[in-house]
Amino acid sequence: MSGLRRALVALGVLATLLGLLSTALVLTSDHASPRGLLLALILATGWSFAFTGLFAWDRRPQNNTGPLMTAVGFAWFFQALSASNNEWIFAIGILGQNLSFAILVHLLVTFPSGRLRTRLQIVTVGIAYLATGPLNWLWALFTDPSAQGNCQGCPENPVLVGGAEGVANVINALQVIGGSVSIVLAIGLLIRNWRRSSAAERRVLTPVLATGGLAFSVLLVQLVAGELGASNTFKGVTFITAVTIFACLPFAFLAGLLRSRIGRAEEVSSALSAENEQLTAELEAKVEELRASRHRIVEAGYAERRRVERDLHDGAQQRLMALTMTLRLAREKLDADPAASAELLDEAMEELGAATAELREFARGIHPVVLSDRGLAAALGGLAERSPVPVEIAAAPEERLPMPVESAAYFVVAESLTNVARYAGAELATVRVERRDGVLEVEVTDDGAGGADPGAGTGLRGLADRVAAIDGSFAVRSEPGEGTTVEARIPCA
Amino acid sequence: MPKTVLIVDDHPGFRASARRMLEASGYAVVGEAADGEEAVTAAGVLAPDLVLLDVQLPDVDGFEVAARLQGLERTPAVVLTSSRDRADFGDAVAESPARGFIAKAELSGPALAELVG
Repeated sequence: MSGLRRALVALGVLATLLGLLSTALVLTSDHASPRGLLLALILATGWSFAFTGLFAWDRRPQNNTGPLMTAVGFAWFFQALSASNNEWIFAIGILGQNLSFAILVHLLVTFPSGRLRTRLQIVTVGIAYLATGPLNWLWALFTDPSAQGNCQGCPENPVLVGGAEGVANVINALQVIGGSVSIVLAIGLLIRNWRRSSAAERRVLTPVLATGGLAFSVLLVQLVAGELGASNTFKGVTFITAVTIFACLPFAFLAGLLRSRIGRAEEVSSALSAENEQLTAELEAKVEELRASRHRIVEAGYAERRRVERDLHDGAQQRLMALTMTLRLAREKLDADPAASAELLDEAMEELGAATAELREFARGIHPVVLSDRGLAAALGGLAERSPVPVEIAAAPEERLPMPVESAAYFVVAESLTNVARYAGAELATVRVERRDGVLEVEVTDDGAGGADPGAGTGLRGLADRVAAIDGSFAVRSEPGEGTTVEARIPCA
Repeated sequence: MPKTVLIVDDHPGFRASARRMLEASGYAVVGEAADGEEAVTAAGVLAPDLVLLDVQLPDVDGFEVAARLQGLERTPAVVLTSSRDRADFGDAVAESPARGFIAKAELSGPALAELVG
């Protein structure tokens, strides 16, 4: 159990004991009446404030509302002390009996934070404390309730310095004025707070402020009516009404607290909803990106087929056409001019050799057979051998990897080396392909001119799509004068 | 007097083979062109009797070139050729003003003579 929790439990025990003491004092009182109602109101209000306050304190230790509610509950028991037949306990009760109202003003005008912030709040609460604290103590020095008609059977006031009715009346008038002013100001603050708050805040504030405002209003009526000479019955009824409403206040605080939880749940829900919207937007963007990438892959497929057709048409097919014509000519000349015919046949064989080489190269461009037969390392070795720019293979995986991974890695290196040969003006290219933590890292760097634009050509874009299609990432770094680095990271767990 | 021929094809290898074949068959090859524009210009200057015209050219296609050649003062006979089959071009060969079409694989002096005499 934490230190705070232990202290709160101790305060709870103390509140219970105070309630029991109050019960004894009220039930044995010679002057309190009606005892039953008074006791019920004291216990209901005191305990409900004290225990709900302790509960709030425990739940929100950083918030002053809990401590203030607890203080109201404890201060409330002064009322019971003033029911005592013992003069000193009675005196303590008289000195503190109104303090709970001031704490209540403090509590209500600062709800829900419990902190005094504005000057008007400080003035309001200050006047309330002044009227119920020092002014009340001062009044107690000059008045003897037992000598007045409205407190028959009360013990004598042991702190009386002298019966000075005039002074006591002045002080009492100041108390009433102070109390009334602070109540009016408090009601005004409550209304202002409510009007300034958002719909969510109002859910929390409404039960507390409505009950508090009502209690203050009734108390104000009782105070003013008392001074205007209203009947004791009227004063009694309004006082009991106000106190009954006060007794309900802790439950209003609890309702506010509960509503603030609901409010927070709504805030959380609203935050979740906002986050959800953001996620949805991200997802939509991702879907759009995927759709575009899929479209590009399909397009790239068609483009590749067109390229295959064009390459075949422009390359091997043209050579074979020429070969056909040369052979036909050789056949025609065979009888008349065997020497010319032989020369044409030599030419035809040369052409056939060139056509075969071209077809081989072409087939490798579609799919390098060495890759499927002997794996990435051997295929990369072949690429390095055929590259016009010297290539150093710094690392290549000897183990076999899934075909799409090997293929993507191969074409990243092949296309990059083609670009190095065509554009970079490099003296050396370095290829590093390593498997690390379930990812195949492919890196081709050169010491050439740099300044390559990945968006410019279809080659790099096609590579990016090919790598993205198997959930990999692709990047090109190419600062002018600093060579080019092509990097692909392909998952291969 | 041998018939004069302009060879239009973007593949130098094919042009060389075609020239040798045509010359062997008694034609006089007066010029070669590698694309459509060059072909129209050369035909205007050289005024050949025959244009052996590849269908797939880098700029405009052979059908377009054949149509333009009809506008020349002295209209040459046009024979279209391609490494593809005639059927690959649908109705285009029939609708063009060309005398006919010979697939490159079948190109020979007698095949040409059959179309242009």
